[in-house]
Amino acid sequence: MADYREAPLATRPKTLDPNEYFNVSPDQRRAEEGRAALRANLKRQYQTQLNNPHRQELIEDPALTRWVYARANPYTTFRPTFKTSLMGAMFGVLPLFVLYYAFKTDRDRKEDQIKAGTRERKFNLSS
Amino acid sequence: MRSSSSAGRQQTVNMAGVGFRRWAQALSKGKAPGFSALLSGCRAASGVSKGGLPGPCPTTPEEKAAAAKKYNMRVDDYEPYPDKGEGFGDYPNLPERSQHERDPWYQWDHPDLRRNWGEPMHWNFDMFIRNRVDTSPSPVDWSTMCKQLFGFIGFMLFMFYVGEKFPAYQPVAPKQYPYNNLYLEKGGDPEKQPEEVKNYKI
Repeated sequence: MADYREAPLATRPKTLDPNEYFNVSPDQRRAEEGRAALRANLKRQYQTQLNNPHRQELIEDPALTRWVYARANPYTTFRPTFKTSLMGAMFGVLPLFVLYYAFKTDRDRKEDQIKAGTRERKFNLSS
Repeated sequence: MRSSSSAGRQQTVNMAGVGFRRWAQALSKGKAPGFSALLSGCRAASGVSKGGLPGPCPTTPEEKAAAAKKYNMRVDDYEPYPDKGEGFGDYPNLPERSQHERDPWYQWDHPDLRRNWGEPMHWNFDMFIRNRVDTSPSPVDWSTMCKQLFGFIGFMLFMFYVGEKFPAYQPVAPKQYPYNNLYLEKGGDPEKQPEEVKNYKI
């Protein structure tokens, strides 16, 4: 298993992750303790609100609000750069013209064939 | 009793009138132009505060520290998206891990989402829920998976090709009928002697 290669976009199993075995310095431990302190604080806030007998309303999650706001308002921080303009042009403008051109030429070709009488029209009801 | 109830009803009617008057006053006093003028001049105390929503990309370390505090993350863990104008702002760039990978036995606040209250959500959180994209490690590694899948498909295709080239089936012949190929049943003359048909060879 020394040459284990994970699938693209997937993660490594925890038993093969080098972080498990090599990140044991005191700084790393302190960092983990800091993260645990933040988590415990949030847990405390949530449990206090959850077990409050006088609570009538829903418990509002500010992280969820921030996520929704961030996803709904990307335009405040949007900036037209080369990459973003290219993306916009490729996905927004180009399909219009490409699809118009494709459908128009296909339909014109079919129309010419029908006018010349070479097209077999199996489902034509108006003949 | 009746008098008190009628007095109460009168009281509520009065309060509605007062409320309407206050609303009309607020309308006329509105300073902001357009639609904002129709809203009252104060806002509710519920919901996230003004500095609690995502903002523009942080550049200085102080802005980064403030953003980390806002998102309930440590300053070392907080890493914003690179400022390429793609619309992320100061939202943290969390590792792309699906909710499948989270501990199923821990007491999460929201067990179906495997998430605690207040925890910063990944930008593509709705993609990483347990019904959708799964980034957990595969049972065997990539090369083994590729070999097994493409090996099987390749073998099956090869065998189908060989089967097309060299078909193998039971030998067949046209059906043979007795009584001189059913001479009488097919409308032959009963007086005439039919020619003898021999459908076998010994």
